[in-house]
Amino acid sequence: MKKTLRKAEPYFWILPSVILMSIFIIVPIGQVFRMAFSKVTKTGKVKEFIGFGNFMDVVGSKEFGIVLQNTIVWTIVVVGLSTLLGFMLALLLNNEFKGRKIARAIVVFPWATTLVIQASAWKFIINTDYGALNTLLKTLGIINHNINWTPTPEAFFAWEIACGIFVTIPFVCFTTLSGLQSIDASLYEAATVDGANYWQKLFQITIPLVKPSLTVATVLNIIYVFNSFPIVWTITKGDPASRTDTLVTYLYKLAFYNGKQGQAAAVSVIGFLILLVCASVYMVYTLKKGDD
Amino acid sequence: MTLNNKKMPLGKVIARLLLYVVVFDICMLILYPYFVMFCTALKSRTEIFSMNGTILPISAMWSNFVDIWKLAPMGSYMRNSIIIAGGSTLLAMLCGIPAAYALSRMEFKGQTAFLGFIIVSQMFAPVVLLIGIYKVISAMGLTDNILGLVFINAAFNQAFTIWLLRGTFMSISSDMEQAATIDGCNRIQAMIRVLLPVAAPGIVTTLIFIFINAWNEYTVALCLISTEELKPLTVGINIFNGYNMIEWQYLFAGSIFAIIPVVILFMSIEKHLVSGLTSGGVKG
Repeated sequence: MKKTLRKAEPYFWILPSVILMSIFIIVPIGQVFRMAFSKVTKTGKVKEFIGFGNFMDVVGSKEFGIVLQNTIVWTIVVVGLSTLLGFMLALLLNNEFKGRKIARAIVVFPWATTLVIQASAWKFIINTDYGALNTLLKTLGIINHNINWTPTPEAFFAWEIACGIFVTIPFVCFTTLSGLQSIDASLYEAATVDGANYWQKLFQITIPLVKPSLTVATVLNIIYVFNSFPIVWTITKGDPASRTDTLVTYLYKLAFYNGKQGQAAAVSVIGFLILLVCASVYMVYTLKKGDD
Repeated sequence: MTLNNKKMPLGKVIARLLLYVVVFDICMLILYPYFVMFCTALKSRTEIFSMNGTILPISAMWSNFVDIWKLAPMGSYMRNSIIIAGGSTLLAMLCGIPAAYALSRMEFKGQTAFLGFIIVSQMFAPVVLLIGIYKVISAMGLTDNILGLVFINAAFNQAFTIWLLRGTFMSISSDMEQAATIDGCNRIQAMIRVLLPVAAPGIVTTLIFIFINAWNEYTVALCLISTEELKPLTVGINIFNGYNMIEWQYLFAGSIFAIIPVVILFMSIEKHLVSGLTSGGVKG
Protein backbone atom coordinates (compact mmCIF):
# COMPACT_ATOMS: atom_id res chain seq x y z
CA MET A 1 0.00 0.00 0.00
CA LYS A 2 2.69 2.41 1.09
CA LYS A 3 4.80 1.41 -1.88
CA THR A 4 2.07 2.17 -4.42
CA LEU A 5 1.48 5.50 -2.76
CA ARG A 6 5.16 6.36 -3.02
CA LYS A 7 5.16 5.36 -6.68
CA ALA A 8 2.14 7.54 -7.34
CA GLU A 9 3.51 10.51 -5.40
CA PRO A 10 5.27 12.32 -8.27
CA TYR A 11 2.04 12.35 -10.24
CA PHE A 12 0.27 14.25 -7.46
CA TRP A 13 3.00 16.86 -7.64
CA ILE A 14 2.62 17.42 -11.35
CA LEU A 15 -1.17 17.07 -11.34
CA PRO A 16 -2.15 20.78 -10.94
CA SER A 17 0.13 21.78 -13.78
CA VAL A 18 -1.13 18.95 -16.00
CA ILE A 19 -4.76 19.90 -15.36
CA LEU A 20 -4.13 23.57 -16.07
CA MET A 21 -2.30 22.90 -19.32
CA SER A 22 -4.75 20.21 -20.43
CA ILE A 23 -7.81 22.42 -20.12
CA PHE A 24 -6.35 25.59 -21.58
CA ILE A 25 -3.81 24.31 -24.10
CA ILE A 26 -4.59 20.72 -25.11
CA VAL A 27 -8.38 21.07 -25.31
CA PRO A 28 -8.08 24.23 -27.48
CA ILE A 29 -5.64 22.38 -29.75
CA GLY A 30 -8.24 19.60 -30.11
CA GLN A 31 -10.98 22.14 -30.78
CA VAL A 32 -8.97 23.88 -33.47
CA PHE A 33 -8.33 20.59 -35.25
CA ARG A 34 -11.97 19.53 -34.98
CA MET A 35 -13.16 22.86 -36.41
CA ALA A 36 -10.59 22.83 -39.20
CA PHE A 37 -12.12 19.61 -40.55
CA SER A 38 -15.77 20.48 -39.92
CA LYS A 39 -18.41 22.79 -41.27
CA VAL A 40 -18.75 25.65 -38.80
CA THR A 41 -21.71 28.05 -38.79
CA LYS A 42 -21.33 31.81 -38.56
CA THR A 43 -22.22 31.67 -34.86
CA GLY A 44 -19.52 29.09 -34.22
CA LYS A 45 -21.66 25.90 -34.08
CA VAL A 46 -19.60 22.93 -35.23
CA LYS A 47 -21.54 20.82 -37.78
CA GLU A 48 -20.58 17.79 -39.85
CA PHE A 49 -17.11 16.59 -40.86
CA ILE A 50 -16.12 17.95 -44.27
CA GLY A 51 -12.57 16.70 -44.66
CA PHE A 52 -10.26 19.23 -46.23
CA GLY A 53 -13.04 21.59 -47.35
CA ASN A 54 -11.92 24.48 -45.15
CA PHE A 55 -8.33 24.04 -46.27
CA MET A 56 -9.41 24.11 -49.91
CA ASP A 57 -11.34 27.34 -49.30
CA VAL A 58 -8.39 28.96 -47.54
CA VAL A 59 -5.71 27.90 -49.99
CA GLY A 60 -7.97 28.75 -52.91
CA SER A 61 -8.75 32.27 -51.68
CA LYS A 62 -6.98 35.06 -53.53
CA GLU A 63 -5.37 36.56 -50.40
CA PHE A 64 -3.79 33.37 -49.12
CA GLY A 65 -0.72 33.45 -51.38
CA ILE A 66 0.22 36.97 -50.33
CA VAL A 67 -0.50 36.26 -46.66
CA LEU A 68 1.75 33.22 -46.65
CA GLN A 69 4.45 35.11 -48.49
CA ASN A 70 4.19 38.01 -46.02
CA THR A 71 4.46 35.60 -43.09
CA ILE A 72 7.58 33.99 -44.45
CA VAL A 73 9.22 37.32 -45.32
CA TRP A 74 8.23 38.73 -41.92
CA THR A 75 9.65 35.77 -40.00
CA ILE A 76 12.89 35.40 -41.95
CA VAL A 77 13.76 39.10 -42.16
CA VAL A 78 12.85 39.96 -38.57
CA VAL A 79 14.62 36.92 -37.10
CA GLY A 80 17.60 37.18 -39.44
CA LEU A 81 18.33 40.87 -38.98
CA SER A 82 17.53 40.98 -35.26
CA THR A 83 19.86 38.04 -34.69
CA LEU A 84 22.68 39.71 -36.60
CA LEU A 85 22.17 43.14 -35.02
CA GLY A 86 21.49 41.71 -31.55
CA PHE A 87 24.71 39.69 -31.77
CA MET A 88 26.70 42.76 -32.80
CA LEU A 89 25.18 44.82 -30.02
CA ALA A 90 26.07 42.09 -27.53
CA LEU A 91 29.69 42.18 -28.73
CA LEU A 92 29.72 45.94 -28.11
CA LEU A 93 28.14 45.69 -24.68
CA ASN A 94 30.52 42.92 -23.67
CA ASN A 95 33.35 45.49 -23.60
CA GLU A 96 34.23 47.12 -20.32
CA PHE A 97 33.38 50.79 -20.53
CA LYS A 98 31.98 53.56 -18.40
CA GLY A 99 28.20 53.67 -18.52
CA ARG A 100 27.86 50.04 -19.58
CA LYS A 101 25.26 49.42 -16.90
CA ILE A 102 23.15 52.32 -18.16
CA ALA A 103 23.46 51.12 -21.75
CA ARG A 104 22.31 47.63 -20.73
CA ALA A 105 19.37 49.08 -18.84
CA ILE A 106 18.35 51.08 -21.90
CA VAL A 107 18.56 48.07 -24.20
CA VAL A 108 16.05 46.30 -21.93
CA PHE A 109 13.37 48.92 -22.68
CA PRO A 110 11.92 47.54 -25.94
CA TRP A 111 11.89 44.03 -24.49
CA ALA A 112 9.91 45.14 -21.45
CA THR A 113 7.41 47.28 -23.33
CA THR A 114 4.23 45.67 -24.54
CA LEU A 115 4.19 45.35 -28.33
CA VAL A 116 0.95 47.32 -28.82
CA ILE A 117 2.51 50.40 -27.28
CA GLN A 118 5.76 50.10 -29.25
CA ALA A 119 3.73 49.68 -32.42
CA SER A 120 1.53 52.71 -31.61
CA ALA A 121 4.63 54.83 -31.11
CA TRP A 122 6.03 53.78 -34.49
CA LYS A 123 2.68 54.34 -36.14
CA PHE A 124 2.85 57.92 -34.89
CA ILE A 125 6.51 58.37 -35.83
CA ILE A 126 6.02 57.42 -39.49
CA ASN A 127 2.81 59.37 -40.08
CA THR A 128 3.09 61.57 -43.16
CA ASP A 129 1.10 64.60 -42.01
CA TYR A 130 2.16 65.06 -38.41
CA GLY A 131 4.59 62.19 -37.69
CA ALA A 132 7.58 62.64 -35.40
CA LEU A 133 10.10 61.51 -38.01
CA ASN A 134 9.14 64.26 -40.44
CA THR A 135 9.13 66.81 -37.62
CA LEU A 136 12.60 65.70 -36.54
CA LEU A 137 14.05 65.82 -40.04
CA LYS A 138 12.49 69.23 -40.73
CA THR A 139 13.83 70.64 -37.48
CA LEU A 140 17.30 69.34 -38.32
CA GLY A 141 16.98 70.97 -41.74
CA ILE A 142 17.44 67.69 -43.62
CA ILE A 143 14.09 67.97 -45.42
CA ASN A 144 11.85 70.98 -45.98
CA HIS A 145 8.53 69.31 -46.73
CA ASN A 146 6.85 66.20 -45.31
CA ILE A 147 7.86 62.91 -46.83
CA ASN A 148 5.30 60.14 -47.30
CA TRP A 149 7.08 57.23 -45.64
CA THR A 150 4.31 54.77 -46.45
CA PRO A 151 3.22 55.34 -50.08
CA THR A 152 2.44 51.65 -50.68
CA PRO A 153 1.23 48.69 -48.60
CA GLU A 154 4.69 47.20 -49.09
CA ALA A 155 6.23 50.28 -47.50
CA PHE A 156 3.90 49.89 -44.53
CA PHE A 157 4.91 46.25 -44.25
CA ALA A 158 8.59 47.22 -44.38
CA TRP A 159 8.04 49.59 -41.44
CA GLU A 160 6.25 46.83 -39.57
CA ILE A 161 9.26 44.61 -40.16
CA ALA A 162 11.57 47.39 -38.92
CA CYS A 163 9.46 47.69 -35.78
CA GLY A 164 9.61 43.90 -35.34
CA ILE A 165 13.40 43.97 -35.60
CA PHE A 166 13.60 46.84 -33.14
CA VAL A 167 11.67 45.00 -30.44
CA THR A 168 13.39 41.65 -31.02
CA ILE A 169 17.01 42.82 -30.80
CA PRO A 170 17.12 43.01 -26.96
CA PHE A 171 16.15 39.35 -26.56
CA VAL A 172 18.94 38.20 -28.89
CA CYS A 173 21.37 40.66 -27.35
CA PHE A 174 20.85 39.44 -23.80
CA THR A 175 20.92 35.74 -24.61
CA THR A 176 24.16 36.30 -26.52
CA LEU A 177 25.60 38.41 -23.71
CA SER A 178 25.05 35.65 -21.19
CA GLY A 179 26.81 33.28 -23.55
CA LEU A 180 29.69 35.73 -24.01
CA GLN A 181 30.13 36.23 -20.30
CA SER A 182 30.49 32.53 -19.66
CA ILE A 183 33.50 32.32 -22.01
CA ASP A 184 36.73 31.80 -20.09
CA ALA A 185 38.90 34.93 -20.47
CA SER A 186 42.07 32.81 -20.48
CA LEU A 187 41.12 31.50 -23.93
CA TYR A 188 41.47 35.01 -25.31
CA GLU A 189 44.71 35.61 -23.42
CA ALA A 190 46.19 32.42 -24.83
CA ALA A 191 45.08 33.39 -28.34
CA THR A 192 46.63 36.85 -27.92
CA VAL A 193 49.91 35.29 -26.86
CA ASP A 194 49.77 33.15 -29.99
CA GLY A 195 49.37 36.33 -32.04
CA ALA A 196 45.70 36.01 -33.04
CA ASN A 197 44.02 39.23 -34.18
CA TYR A 198 40.52 40.44 -33.27
CA TRP A 199 38.76 38.71 -36.18
CA GLN A 200 40.51 35.41 -35.64
CA LYS A 201 39.46 35.49 -31.99
CA LEU A 202 35.90 36.38 -33.00
CA PHE A 203 35.48 33.58 -35.52
CA GLN A 204 37.50 30.90 -33.76
CA ILE A 205 36.62 31.45 -30.10
CA THR A 206 33.61 33.70 -29.67
CA ILE A 207 31.23 32.49 -32.35
CA PRO A 208 31.67 28.72 -31.80
CA LEU A 209 31.22 29.14 -28.04
CA VAL A 210 28.17 31.40 -28.29
CA LYS A 211 26.54 29.22 -30.94
CA PRO A 212 24.52 26.97 -28.58
CA SER A 213 22.76 29.82 -26.79
CA LEU A 214 22.32 31.66 -30.08
CA THR A 215 20.71 28.60 -31.69
CA VAL A 216 18.14 28.24 -28.92
CA ALA A 217 17.43 31.97 -28.98
CA THR A 218 16.96 31.83 -32.75
CA VAL A 219 14.53 28.93 -32.68
CA LEU A 220 12.50 30.53 -29.88
CA ASN A 221 12.57 33.76 -31.85
CA ILE A 222 11.24 32.10 -34.99
CA ILE A 223 8.26 30.91 -32.97
CA TYR A 224 7.63 34.26 -31.24
CA VAL A 225 7.98 36.27 -34.42
CA PHE A 226 5.88 33.90 -36.50
CA ASN A 227 3.10 34.22 -33.91
CA SER A 228 3.48 37.95 -33.40
CA PHE A 229 0.13 39.66 -33.71
CA PRO A 230 0.14 43.17 -32.13
CA ILE A 231 2.58 45.00 -34.44
CA VAL A 232 0.77 44.34 -37.70
CA TRP A 233 -2.60 44.64 -35.98
CA THR A 234 -1.82 48.04 -34.50
CA ILE A 235 -0.15 49.61 -37.51
CA THR A 236 -2.27 48.41 -40.46
CA LYS A 237 -4.69 45.67 -39.29
CA GLY A 238 -3.40 43.79 -42.34
CA ASP A 239 -5.07 46.26 -44.67
CA PRO A 240 -5.44 47.09 -47.49
CA ALA A 241 -6.93 43.84 -48.81
CA SER A 242 -4.62 41.59 -46.76
CA ARG A 243 -1.54 43.10 -48.43
CA THR A 244 0.12 43.47 -45.01
CA ASP A 245 -1.51 40.47 -43.28
CA THR A 246 0.43 37.64 -41.72
CA LEU A 247 -1.16 34.29 -40.92
CA VAL A 248 -2.12 35.28 -37.36
CA THR A 249 -3.79 38.59 -38.25
CA TYR A 250 -5.47 36.87 -41.20
CA LEU A 251 -6.90 34.12 -39.03
CA TYR A 252 -8.05 36.65 -36.42
CA LYS A 253 -10.02 38.53 -39.07
CA LEU A 254 -11.45 35.31 -40.52
CA ALA A 255 -12.64 34.14 -37.11
CA PHE A 256 -13.81 37.29 -35.39
CA TYR A 257 -14.67 39.71 -38.22
CA ASN A 258 -15.86 37.53 -41.10
CA GLY A 259 -17.48 34.68 -39.16
CA LYS A 260 -15.45 32.03 -40.99
CA GLN A 261 -14.27 30.08 -37.99
CA GLY A 262 -13.77 26.85 -39.90
CA GLN A 263 -11.39 28.53 -42.31
CA ALA A 264 -9.66 30.34 -39.46
CA ALA A 265 -9.11 26.98 -37.76
CA ALA A 266 -7.65 25.66 -41.01
CA VAL A 267 -5.20 28.60 -41.06
CA SER A 268 -4.27 27.74 -37.47
CA VAL A 269 -3.54 24.15 -38.45
CA ILE A 270 -1.37 25.32 -41.35
CA GLY A 271 0.49 27.57 -38.92
CA PHE A 272 0.85 24.61 -36.56
CA LEU A 273 2.40 22.46 -39.20
CA ILE A 274 4.94 25.12 -40.11
CA LEU A 275 5.82 25.66 -36.45
CA LEU A 276 5.91 21.95 -35.72
CA VAL A 277 8.95 21.70 -37.95
CA CYS A 278 10.63 24.39 -35.83
CA ALA A 279 9.35 22.76 -32.64
CA SER A 280 10.85 19.40 -33.47
CA VAL A 281 14.19 20.93 -34.36
CA TYR A 282 14.15 22.79 -31.03
CA MET A 283 13.10 19.72 -29.05
CA VAL A 284 15.67 17.42 -30.57
CA TYR A 285 18.33 20.04 -29.94
CA THR A 286 17.30 20.78 -26.35
CA LEU A 287 16.86 17.16 -25.29
CA LYS A 288 20.15 16.23 -26.89
CA LYS A 289 21.81 19.01 -24.91
CA GLY A 290 20.18 17.71 -21.73
CA ASP A 291 21.85 14.33 -22.16
CA ASP A 292 25.33 15.77 -22.39
CA MET B 1 42.78 46.11 -20.45
CA THR B 2 44.45 49.18 -19.05
CA LEU B 3 42.71 52.49 -19.16
CA ASN B 4 45.88 54.46 -18.64
CA ASN B 5 45.68 57.06 -21.38
CA LYS B 6 49.39 57.77 -21.61
CA LYS B 7 50.21 54.19 -22.49
CA MET B 8 47.23 53.61 -24.74
CA PRO B 9 48.18 53.46 -28.43
CA LEU B 10 46.30 55.71 -30.83
CA GLY B 11 44.42 52.82 -32.44
CA LYS B 12 42.99 51.80 -29.10
CA VAL B 13 41.93 55.35 -28.31
CA ILE B 14 40.08 55.58 -31.62
CA ALA B 15 38.45 52.17 -31.09
CA ARG B 16 37.29 53.28 -27.65
CA LEU B 17 35.94 56.53 -28.99
CA LEU B 18 34.13 54.67 -31.76
CA LEU B 19 32.64 52.29 -29.21
CA TYR B 20 31.23 55.19 -27.22
CA VAL B 21 29.81 56.88 -30.31
CA VAL B 22 28.13 53.71 -31.58
CA VAL B 23 26.71 52.68 -28.19
CA PHE B 24 25.48 56.22 -27.59
CA ASP B 25 23.73 56.33 -30.98
CA ILE B 26 22.08 52.95 -30.42
CA CYS B 27 20.84 54.05 -27.01
CA MET B 28 19.41 57.22 -28.52
CA LEU B 29 17.65 55.19 -31.21
CA ILE B 30 16.17 52.83 -28.61
CA LEU B 31 14.98 55.71 -26.46
CA TYR B 32 13.59 57.64 -29.43
CA PRO B 33 10.05 56.12 -29.43
CA TYR B 34 9.82 56.73 -25.68
CA PHE B 35 10.96 60.30 -26.12
CA VAL B 36 8.34 60.79 -28.85
CA MET B 37 5.64 59.26 -26.66
CA PHE B 38 6.54 61.45 -23.73
CA CYS B 39 6.66 64.68 -25.77
CA THR B 40 3.41 63.84 -27.54
CA ALA B 41 1.70 63.03 -24.25
CA LEU B 42 2.47 66.60 -23.21
CA LYS B 43 1.10 68.27 -26.33
CA SER B 44 -2.37 69.56 -27.03
CA ARG B 45 -4.48 68.00 -29.75
CA THR B 46 -4.15 71.00 -32.07
CA GLU B 47 -0.41 71.08 -31.60
CA ILE B 48 -0.03 67.41 -32.53
CA PHE B 49 -2.02 67.75 -35.75
CA SER B 50 -0.48 71.04 -36.84
CA MET B 51 1.57 70.82 -40.04
CA ASN B 52 4.44 72.78 -38.53
CA GLY B 53 4.93 70.73 -35.41
CA THR B 54 7.91 71.04 -33.13
CA ILE B 55 9.82 68.26 -31.44
CA LEU B 56 9.23 69.48 -27.92
CA PRO B 57 5.79 70.61 -26.76
CA ILE B 58 5.32 74.40 -26.90
CA SER B 59 3.82 74.40 -23.47
CA ALA B 60 3.74 71.18 -21.50
CA MET B 61 0.17 70.05 -20.90
CA TRP B 62 0.66 67.97 -17.76
CA SER B 63 -3.12 67.98 -17.49
CA ASN B 64 -3.26 65.23 -20.16
CA PHE B 65 -1.97 62.82 -17.56
CA VAL B 66 -4.83 63.80 -15.28
CA ASP B 67 -7.53 64.03 -17.95
CA ILE B 68 -7.19 60.43 -19.11
CA TRP B 69 -8.42 59.27 -15.70
CA LYS B 70 -11.65 61.16 -16.33
CA LEU B 71 -12.02 60.36 -20.04
CA ALA B 72 -11.50 56.61 -19.68
CA PRO B 73 -11.85 54.12 -16.83
CA MET B 74 -8.07 54.17 -16.31
CA GLY B 75 -8.53 53.14 -12.70
CA SER B 76 -10.38 49.99 -13.80
CA TYR B 77 -7.77 49.23 -16.49
CA MET B 78 -5.00 49.56 -13.95
CA ARG B 79 -6.83 47.42 -11.37
CA ASN B 80 -7.62 44.76 -14.01
CA SER B 81 -4.02 44.62 -15.20
CA ILE B 82 -2.85 44.16 -11.62
CA ILE B 83 -5.43 41.45 -10.91
CA ILE B 84 -4.74 39.61 -14.18
CA ALA B 85 -0.97 39.77 -13.84
CA GLY B 86 -1.00 39.01 -10.10
CA GLY B 87 -3.56 36.21 -10.38
CA SER B 88 -1.79 34.59 -13.34
CA THR B 89 1.52 34.73 -11.52
CA LEU B 90 0.07 33.18 -8.37
CA LEU B 91 -1.69 30.38 -10.25
CA ALA B 92 1.31 29.67 -12.49
CA MET B 93 3.57 29.42 -9.43
CA LEU B 94 1.13 27.27 -7.42
CA CYS B 95 0.99 24.77 -10.28
CA GLY B 96 4.56 25.20 -11.46
CA ILE B 97 6.51 24.89 -8.21
CA PRO B 98 5.30 21.35 -7.35
CA ALA B 99 5.77 20.24 -10.96
CA ALA B 100 9.30 21.64 -11.09
CA TYR B 101 9.99 20.03 -7.70
CA ALA B 102 8.86 16.62 -8.93
CA LEU B 103 10.94 16.98 -12.10
CA SER B 104 14.08 17.90 -10.20
CA ARG B 105 13.80 15.66 -7.11
CA MET B 106 11.90 12.52 -8.15
CA GLU B 107 12.06 9.90 -10.85
CA PHE B 108 8.89 8.66 -12.44
CA LYS B 109 7.53 7.06 -15.56
CA GLY B 110 6.56 9.59 -18.18
CA GLN B 111 9.03 12.17 -16.94
CA THR B 112 10.63 12.59 -20.35
CA ALA B 113 7.23 12.70 -22.02
CA PHE B 114 6.12 15.43 -19.61
CA LEU B 115 9.28 17.44 -20.28
CA GLY B 116 8.82 16.97 -24.01
CA PHE B 117 5.25 18.16 -23.74
CA ILE B 118 6.38 21.26 -21.84
CA ILE B 119 8.86 22.12 -24.55
CA VAL B 120 6.32 21.55 -27.31
CA SER B 121 3.64 23.60 -25.53
CA GLN B 122 6.05 26.52 -25.60
CA MET B 123 5.70 26.47 -29.37
CA PHE B 124 2.03 27.37 -29.39
CA ALA B 125 1.21 30.98 -28.79
CA PRO B 126 -2.35 31.68 -27.67
CA VAL B 127 -3.06 33.58 -30.88
CA VAL B 128 -2.86 30.44 -33.01
CA LEU B 129 -5.22 28.64 -30.63
CA LEU B 130 -7.50 31.62 -30.15
CA ILE B 131 -10.57 29.99 -31.71
CA GLY B 132 -10.14 26.90 -29.56
CA ILE B 133 -9.48 29.00 -26.46
CA TYR B 134 -12.60 31.00 -27.17
CA LYS B 135 -14.62 27.76 -27.37
CA VAL B 136 -13.26 26.45 -24.06
CA ILE B 137 -13.68 29.77 -22.27
CA SER B 138 -17.24 30.25 -23.45
CA ALA B 139 -18.12 26.67 -22.50
CA MET B 140 -16.95 27.56 -18.99
CA GLY B 141 -18.96 30.78 -19.09
CA LEU B 142 -15.81 32.85 -18.67
CA THR B 143 -15.96 35.12 -21.71
CA ASP B 144 -15.78 38.75 -20.72
CA ASN B 145 -14.40 37.64 -17.37
CA ILE B 146 -10.99 38.44 -15.91
CA LEU B 147 -10.76 34.95 -14.41
CA GLY B 148 -10.62 33.51 -17.92
CA LEU B 149 -7.54 35.60 -18.69
CA VAL B 150 -5.91 34.50 -15.43
CA PHE B 151 -6.30 30.83 -16.43
CA ILE B 152 -5.05 31.37 -19.98
CA ASN B 153 -2.02 33.41 -18.94
CA ALA B 154 -1.14 30.95 -16.19
CA ALA B 155 -1.45 27.99 -18.56
CA PHE B 156 0.63 29.52 -21.34
CA ASN B 157 3.33 30.53 -18.86
CA GLN B 158 3.57 27.03 -17.33
CA ALA B 159 6.30 25.89 -19.70
CA PHE B 160 8.49 28.81 -18.85
CA THR B 161 7.77 28.61 -15.12
CA ILE B 162 8.55 24.92 -14.85
CA TRP B 163 11.60 25.20 -17.05
CA LEU B 164 13.16 28.07 -15.09
CA LEU B 165 12.29 26.62 -11.68
CA ARG B 166 13.48 23.14 -12.56
CA GLY B 167 16.83 24.67 -13.53
CA THR B 168 16.97 26.54 -10.22
CA PHE B 169 16.02 23.52 -8.11
CA MET B 170 18.48 21.26 -9.88
CA SER B 171 21.32 23.63 -9.12
CA ILE B 172 20.59 23.26 -5.39
CA SER B 173 21.79 20.14 -3.57
CA SER B 174 19.05 18.01 -2.00
CA ASP B 175 21.19 17.13 1.07
CA MET B 176 19.57 19.76 3.27
CA GLU B 177 16.09 18.55 2.44
CA GLN B 178 17.08 14.97 3.17
CA ALA B 179 18.43 16.05 6.54
CA ALA B 180 15.16 17.84 7.23
CA THR B 181 13.22 14.70 6.31
CA ILE B 182 15.26 12.68 8.81
CA ASP B 183 14.41 15.32 11.42
CA GLY B 184 10.74 14.47 10.86
CA CYS B 185 9.67 16.90 8.16
CA ASN B 186 7.52 15.52 5.36
CA ARG B 187 8.32 16.33 1.75
CA ILE B 188 6.05 19.34 1.54
CA GLN B 189 7.48 20.83 4.73
CA ALA B 190 11.03 20.14 3.55
CA MET B 191 10.34 21.87 0.26
CA ILE B 192 8.72 24.91 1.83
CA ARG B 193 11.13 25.35 4.73
CA VAL B 194 14.43 24.28 3.18
CA LEU B 195 14.37 24.40 -0.61
CA LEU B 196 12.20 27.42 -1.35
CA PRO B 197 14.16 29.92 0.79
CA VAL B 198 17.42 28.87 -0.89
CA ALA B 199 15.78 29.04 -4.31
CA ALA B 200 14.30 32.48 -3.60
CA PRO B 201 16.33 34.42 -6.21
CA GLY B 202 15.28 32.04 -8.98
CA ILE B 203 11.69 32.07 -7.77
CA VAL B 204 11.54 35.87 -7.70
CA THR B 205 12.97 36.07 -11.23
CA THR B 206 10.39 33.58 -12.51
CA LEU B 207 7.62 35.39 -10.67
CA ILE B 208 8.47 38.78 -12.10
CA PHE B 209 8.86 37.37 -15.58
CA ILE B 210 5.38 35.82 -15.55
CA PHE B 211 3.95 39.01 -14.08
CA ILE B 212 5.45 41.05 -16.93
CA ASN B 213 4.25 38.58 -19.57
CA ALA B 214 0.71 38.68 -18.23
CA TRP B 215 0.80 42.46 -17.80
CA ASN B 216 1.88 42.89 -21.41
CA GLU B 217 -0.54 40.34 -22.87
CA TYR B 218 -2.77 41.87 -25.50
CA THR B 219 -4.21 39.44 -28.02
CA VAL B 220 -6.25 37.13 -25.78
CA ALA B 221 -7.61 40.03 -23.74
CA LEU B 222 -8.58 41.82 -26.95
CA CYS B 223 -10.51 38.77 -28.07
CA LEU B 224 -12.17 37.73 -24.80
CA ILE B 225 -13.06 40.98 -23.04
CA SER B 226 -15.70 43.33 -24.39
CA THR B 227 -16.85 45.27 -21.31
CA GLU B 228 -14.84 48.48 -21.06
CA GLU B 229 -14.52 48.27 -17.24
CA LEU B 230 -13.02 44.76 -17.45
CA LYS B 231 -10.24 45.53 -19.95
CA PRO B 232 -6.58 45.53 -18.93
CA LEU B 233 -4.37 48.55 -19.75
CA THR B 234 -2.90 47.11 -22.96
CA VAL B 235 -6.35 46.79 -24.51
CA GLY B 236 -8.09 49.61 -22.65
CA ILE B 237 -5.84 52.49 -23.66
CA ASN B 238 -6.87 51.83 -27.26
CA ILE B 239 -10.11 53.57 -26.39
CA PHE B 240 -8.14 56.64 -27.54
CA ASN B 241 -7.24 54.86 -30.77
CA GLY B 242 -10.51 55.17 -32.65
CA TYR B 243 -11.04 54.19 -36.26
CA ASN B 244 -11.39 57.75 -37.48
CA MET B 245 -9.66 59.77 -34.85
CA ILE B 246 -6.69 58.96 -32.68
CA GLU B 247 -6.20 60.99 -29.52
CA TRP B 248 -2.44 60.53 -29.54
CA GLN B 249 -1.76 62.66 -26.47
CA TYR B 250 -4.09 60.53 -24.32
CA LEU B 251 -3.02 57.25 -25.91
CA PHE B 252 0.62 57.97 -25.04
CA ALA B 253 -0.12 59.39 -21.61
CA GLY B 254 -1.96 56.14 -20.83
CA SER B 255 0.87 54.11 -22.40
CA ILE B 256 3.39 55.68 -20.06
CA PHE B 257 1.37 54.45 -17.09
CA ALA B 258 1.40 50.98 -18.61
CA ILE B 259 5.15 50.99 -19.36
CA ILE B 260 6.74 52.35 -16.21
CA PRO B 261 6.03 49.52 -13.73
CA VAL B 262 7.17 46.88 -16.18
CA VAL B 263 10.38 48.58 -17.20
CA ILE B 264 11.36 48.96 -13.55
CA LEU B 265 10.57 45.31 -12.82
CA PHE B 266 12.40 44.15 -15.92
CA MET B 267 15.55 46.08 -15.09
CA SER B 268 15.54 44.51 -11.64
CA ILE B 269 15.67 40.94 -12.99
CA GLU B 270 17.50 41.44 -16.28
CA LYS B 271 20.72 39.80 -15.07
CA HIS B 272 19.10 36.78 -13.42
CA LEU B 273 16.64 36.28 -16.23
CA VAL B 274 19.28 35.88 -18.87
CA SER B 275 21.35 33.40 -16.91
CA GLY B 276 18.12 31.55 -16.09
CA LEU B 277 17.11 31.48 -19.74
CA THR B 278 20.30 29.89 -20.89
CA SER B 279 21.12 27.63 -17.93
CA GLY B 280 17.57 26.37 -17.49
CA GLY B 281 16.81 26.24 -21.17
CA VAL B 282 19.99 25.11 -22.80
CA LYS B 283 21.73 22.85 -20.38
CA GLY B 284 18.52 21.29 -19.06
